[in-house]
Formats: sequence, structure tokens, C-alpha cells
Amino acid sequence: MWSAGSKSLYFPPLESIVKALWTQWVTGPARAEFASSLEHLAVGYAIAAALGIGFGAALWSLRYAREATSPYLYFLYVLPAPVLVPAALTLFGIGFTMKVVLIAFAAMWPTLLNTLDGMRGVDAVKLDTSKVLGLPRWRNLLQVVLPAAGPQIVAGLRNSLQVAIILMVVSEWEASTDGIGYYIVNAQQSFDYVGMWSGIIVLAIIGIVANLLFVVAENRALHWYYGARAVEGVSR
Amino acid sequence: MTEPGTASGVTEGTGTPVVSLSHVGKAYTSAAGTRVALADITFDVARGEFACVVGPSGAGKTTLLRCLAGLMPPTSGEALFEGAPLRSVPDGIGVVFQDYGRSLFPWLTVTRNVDLPLRVRGVRRDERARRVAEVLASVGLADTGRQYPWQLSGGMQQRVAIARALAYRPDLLLMDEPFASVDAQTRFELEDLILRVREEFGVTVVFVTHDIDEAIYLADRVVVLSRSPGVVTEIVDVTLPRPRDQIATKADEAFARYREHILGLVMSRS
Amino acid sequence: MTVTRFALWYALRPWLLRLGVLAAALGLWQGLSAAGVIRSDEFPSMTQTASALWDQAKTATLWTAIGQTLQGWAIGLAIGAAAALVIGTLIALNSFAYNSVIGVIEFFKAIPVIAILPIGLVLWGATLTMKFALVAFAVFWPLAIQVCYGVRSVDPVVRDTASVLRLRGPRKFALVIMPSAAPFIATGLRVAVAVALIVDIIAELIGGGSGVGERILLAENAGPSVYPIMYAYIVVAGVLGVLLAGAFTLAERYVLRWHESQRSAAGERLKTYPERTEVTLAVSLSAGCWPGAHPGVAVRGAFGRVVGVVGRLEIAVLPAA
Repeated sequence: MWSAGSKSLYFPPLESIVKALWTQWVTGPARAEFASSLEHLAVGYAIAAALGIGFGAALWSLRYAREATSPYLYFLYVLPAPVLVPAALTLFGIGFTMKVVLIAFAAMWPTLLNTLDGMRGVDAVKLDTSKVLGLPRWRNLLQVVLPAAGPQIVAGLRNSLQVAIILMVVSEWEASTDGIGYYIVNAQQSFDYVGMWSGIIVLAIIGIVANLLFVVAENRALHWYYGARAVEGVSR
Repeated sequence: MTEPGTASGVTEGTGTPVVSLSHVGKAYTSAAGTRVALADITFDVARGEFACVVGPSGAGKTTLLRCLAGLMPPTSGEALFEGAPLRSVPDGIGVVFQDYGRSLFPWLTVTRNVDLPLRVRGVRRDERARRVAEVLASVGLADTGRQYPWQLSGGMQQRVAIARALAYRPDLLLMDEPFASVDAQTRFELEDLILRVREEFGVTVVFVTHDIDEAIYLADRVVVLSRSPGVVTEIVDVTLPRPRDQIATKADEAFARYREHILGLVMSRS
Repeated sequence: MTVTRFALWYALRPWLLRLGVLAAALGLWQGLSAAGVIRSDEFPSMTQTASALWDQAKTATLWTAIGQTLQGWAIGLAIGAAAALVIGTLIALNSFAYNSVIGVIEFFKAIPVIAILPIGLVLWGATLTMKFALVAFAVFWPLAIQVCYGVRSVDPVVRDTASVLRLRGPRKFALVIMPSAAPFIATGLRVAVAVALIVDIIAELIGGGSGVGERILLAENAGPSVYPIMYAYIVVAGVLGVLLAGAFTLAERYVLRWHESQRSAAGERLKTYPERTEVTLAVSLSAGCWPGAHPGVAVRGAFGRVVGVVGRLEIAVLPAA
């Protein structure tokens, strides 16, 4: 697609981009930006996952709270999260807190809603079985409902990861002093298109690797689900 | 061999009946009015007895079972378990559902499925392992502990469900058309299994089925329900000799007479 | 209580709760601002935001901004979805094509769309073209995969029946494949609707395209006195999201009402466990009748219409994952 001898200013030759990847990102100063971004992502995502599942489970247990708040949850889920960046800037200034809060807040909703939905959709036969076996409420929640909702919770977590990555970059775009987003903006504004492209490629790599890691983790955690479905498919 | 005929509602065996229903009714309210699933059910089940419940479809058999399990309170009448009114699921009850695929927990191995009720009751690990091994052996699944339920055949899965229900030695075992979803061959094996297990564990069984042959083969008494709204049409004492045998018992003339009688009762109201 | 009044109460009770929660939340906001717990230079009070919103709504600014956002959203969504439907179907129908290309599509799908933004800016600047190009790109990859998946998941029994009935070619495609794939495509489209809006807004917020996102950016840069306007536009963005997603959900239910996934699990549960009516409530209410009742028996008259509307609102707004 991109011949090595590209003359365009905006699409510099692939070779020079690869070189920049090496000199900047693998061995050079941009490593700090990379580490910084990943730190924001990891902390923000972890908080989002914990809060998402926690609140989802809580709302499942509290029927009136759930009924009363469901449209607002949906509102926050559908709200395009980048819209909150300016507000977050005014409230938290620039820096670590703002980014983590933003990422955590935005990435929480897909997990929360999927957890809630998954838990509500648990097969009634399983709930009856749980009652009959004498499981107390807490055991029912932790050992029956959550695992049964597992596949859907994982779908929510995946969605959350995508949102987290987007917010990670967006939060570093303006008035930031570190991060991959900052690097890309900086490069673009200094007409360093090679640098800009290298940053884009790094982002793409992060997205792809994150996805792969997620798939691996998912296959381990949900091996029972995929196993059961495979058997079902064959017997049809 | 005695003639089939109207049975007494009198319980044999000593002490309080395990289950006692008197004038139990269950109605569901929805907008177009009230749907009456059970109208007036009265019968007792004595300790150690094997009672089968048959009836045409829509007779409310499953509703009855769920009332007996304490999953659903009746809207009228009184249901007693061990002499005490049923308000929620009591401790000494085991249930085997028809749909084993949906009842067994697919994220747990067979062993962990079976030992779950024991963990809930605080049984210690070594004792749990012993009991699980014991009950799995009684249902003929001694070596499957580490597999997942969905890796087993339908018949084997239902055995796991039975094992799980028996692991904590309930006083009453309720079974809701448990063999309806397995093939006929396996069904005969499972019928014999449940009779054997009943002897071994000494548990009282209430077995809901639409299969009349199965009911007669297994039961000490057969409770025949009518079509909705459900009432007890008749309770038939089955005095075929035990131990039962798939071939010999079913070849017995008395068996045919029971079948004729009960089939007549079930079909006459449709 | 008569049936009608019972149905009405059952339908309306959740909404009363929700209005209550909203009123409480807004009241709390205003209270905290008035008491000084929230600093007014950082975060405007509820009344300030509300009046800013009202002022904007009176002028053309708000509506122009919404229009501009919707333009990018609609054009990008249309292009991306059309391409995904066509290309996805073509790929799925041919095993060789599928096996060779699916890796590439998965690859591109995993790239965070934000990475493409600088390229778009560089190519087209802060224009409408940039916006819808970005939206189309973001929408295409995941939707193409969904379409592929849907087309390939035709139930083997259905496929065999089609063979036996000698359905081939375009007939088979239209009558058998598309309807089977429809639910998968619908799910993919639902996600695409939301993604399109997010990307559109990002393009405005960061790229400088015109629309609601741009208004937010301008307000933020103009300083604390204009923050109420910024928050007003944030609310607008959220409402826009809810309206678009809700409209789509209702449309989906209507178009796919023949499909068994709509008739559902809920119906099955109702048969086995008649006391569990909660789940089917929204669906039945929207048809103006009560779960378990004969379809011909409807709650009549004005009450029936109210119940129907509330039921539909419930469907549109319940968390749809």
C-alpha cells in the first residue's frame, strides 16, 4: 500500500516510520509516554471493572433502586464519554487524577449494564436449584448468579476496555504533559509527521495486543461456557 | 396381588406423614382474570413411601411440586412438611428437575456440583469428599468427578443431579418428570436406579410424571390429578411385589389392570 | 382494583420512582451549589446550567449544532453500514474469501479509532468530510464482522429445508439468509449507532469539526463564566445519544417482531413459571395488553393507550446491552 519511496509529506515512507518507532519508542524518550499512558489505562480500567461489577450486582439485589435509576444508567452509558473531557479538566486540572477519573467513569457503564443484564437473565431453573440446595443470599449471588452471568459480564468488560483505550488517548490530547496522546498532538503540531505516524502505530499495537490478551484471559475464565456450547452445537 | 381400586387416603407407617396437603389450591392472577392451576388437593405421603403423581398435561403437576418444595406458597389450603407449614424451602428437601441441563451448574465439575450443598451446610472437607464419592458411586458415576456436566451424556447428567439432591440426605426427594428428557433405554436404567437408591438411602419420594407405566412401576401409591383446575381424582394403592423388575413386573396381569384403571381416569376428563 | 387501574399503576409506578430520583438529584445539585459546597467557579449550579440550556435553545445555535452533529453521524453511519452490509455479505458467502480476509478485518477492528483521527485531520482538516469519513471507518469493521457472522450462522436445519424446497440464488438469499442473519445485523447496527455518535463527537471535540462537541470545546476555552453553557451542551450530547439509541431499539423491535428472539425467553419463562411476570411486562404493555392474557384482550381506551406508550418507553430506555 505504501511504497518505501513515498514522496507525500503527510504519508512519509514506511521505512522512516519504522525507524522512528525504534528510536523513539523502543529505545528512546517516548518510552516514558508509553509507560505513562499504560499506567492511566491500567488503573482506570481496574477501577471501572470493579465498580461496574460491584454496582451492577448491587443494583441487581435492590429492585427499587434498579427500577428508579435504570434510564439514568442508560443515559450515562450512551453519553459519548469524550464530551466530559473539558468538564474533567476544569474540575481536576491536568494530571494523573483527571485521566484516571475520566477513564474509570467512562469505562464503568458498559460493564455495569452488562453485569446487571446478565444477572437478571440468569435461568430461573438455576435460581430455583440454588434455593432448593439451601444457598444463602450471598452464596447465591457469588457462586450462582455471577458465574451464570459470566459470559455477559465478560462481553461488558471487553466493551469497557475499548472505551477505556479511547478515553486514555482523548484525555491526553489537550492540556496534557505526558502520554501517547500528548506525543501525537505534539508531533502533529510540530509538523513531525513521521513522529505522528509512529504514535498512531503504537496506539494500534496497544489496541491489538489488549484485544489478544483479553481473548486469552476470556478463554481461560469462560472455558466452561465455550466447552458447553461446543457440545451443544455438535448435538444439533 | 390385590385388585386395583379406590385407595384410602390413610397413611401407613409410623409417625407424622412427611408431607401433608389439605385442600391446597394455587391460582395465578393476571389481567384477563385468575387462572386456577390447582383447585383442591388433599393427600399425605408417609415416611419411606414412594408416591407418584400423574395427570394430563396442564393439570398443574409442576405447580404442585413447586408448592411441595416450598418454592411457591399455595393460595389456599395448607401444605405441611414434617408437620410444619411450608413457608420457604425447608432444610430436608431435595429436588431433581426435568431439565438437568439447566439445573446443573456448568462452571463446576461434577464433584463440585455435588458437594455444593454440603459446603453450604458446613461439612468439613474430608467428610465432604467421602460423602460425594459415596453418593456418586451409588448412582454409578464413580469416576466422573473431575469432568464437567456438559461432557456427560443426558442420562449421566441426570444421575449427577440425583446425586447432588441426595448428597445431604434429605428426608424428602421431589422429582419433576426427571426422566422425560432422556431416551427410553436410559429411562429404564434410571427407574431402577431410583428404586435402588431409595432403598439405600431410605428417602421418601414424590415423583411427578406423565408416563403412567413409569408411575405404576415405581410407586407405592399413585395420585391421579384431574385436568385444570386440578383436584385429586383418585389415589391408587399399588401393591405389586418388590423388588420390581422391568420385565417381570410389567408382564404381571395386575400391572395391566392398574394401567387400564389409571389410564381411564386420566383420559376420561379430557 | 380493576384490571385497568392495576395495569396503569404497574406501568406508571417505575416512572414515578424515576421522576422522584431525578427531582432529588437535581435538588441536591442545586442545594450543594447554593450552600457553596460546590465552588461556583468550578462547577455551575443546576439553575445556571438549566437557564444556559434554555437560552441556547431559544437561539439557533443549539439547533444548528445538533444538526451539524447529526449530519456527520448520519452520513458516516450510512456509508459505513452500507459498505459493511455489502462487503460483509459477499465475504461470508464465499469460504475462501472469508478465511483469507477475516484476519485483516479483525486486525483493523482492534485499532482504536482515535488513532485514525490525526490522519483524518491531516487529509481533510476540520470539515464535515473528515467527520463522516472517520465515522464510516469506525463503523465499518465491527459491523462487517457481525454481518459475516450472521450470514454464516444460518441454522443448518433451515439451510437444509431451503435445499429441499429448491430455493437457490437470490431467492434463497432474500428469503432464507437475510432473515436468519437479521438479528445479528441488528445487534451490530445498534452498536454502530452508538459508536458513530461517539466518533462524531470526538471528531468535533478534538478535531474541531462543527457541532455539539465543538460548542463544548468553545465554551471550555472561553472560561468559567461560560461553563454553564459547556455543561448544557454535555447534557444535550447525552440526550442525543439516548434519543438515537432509543429510536433504534424501537425500530428494531418493530422490524424483528416476527423473530423468535423477540417472542422470547420471556414467553417461555412465563409458561413454566407463571408467577414471573415482570420480565414480559414491558413487551406486553407496549402492545396494550397484559402478560398471559389472550392477545385479543387488551386494556381498553385511553388507559390502554397510556399503558402502551409507557411500555414502549420502557423498552426504549431499559438498559440494552
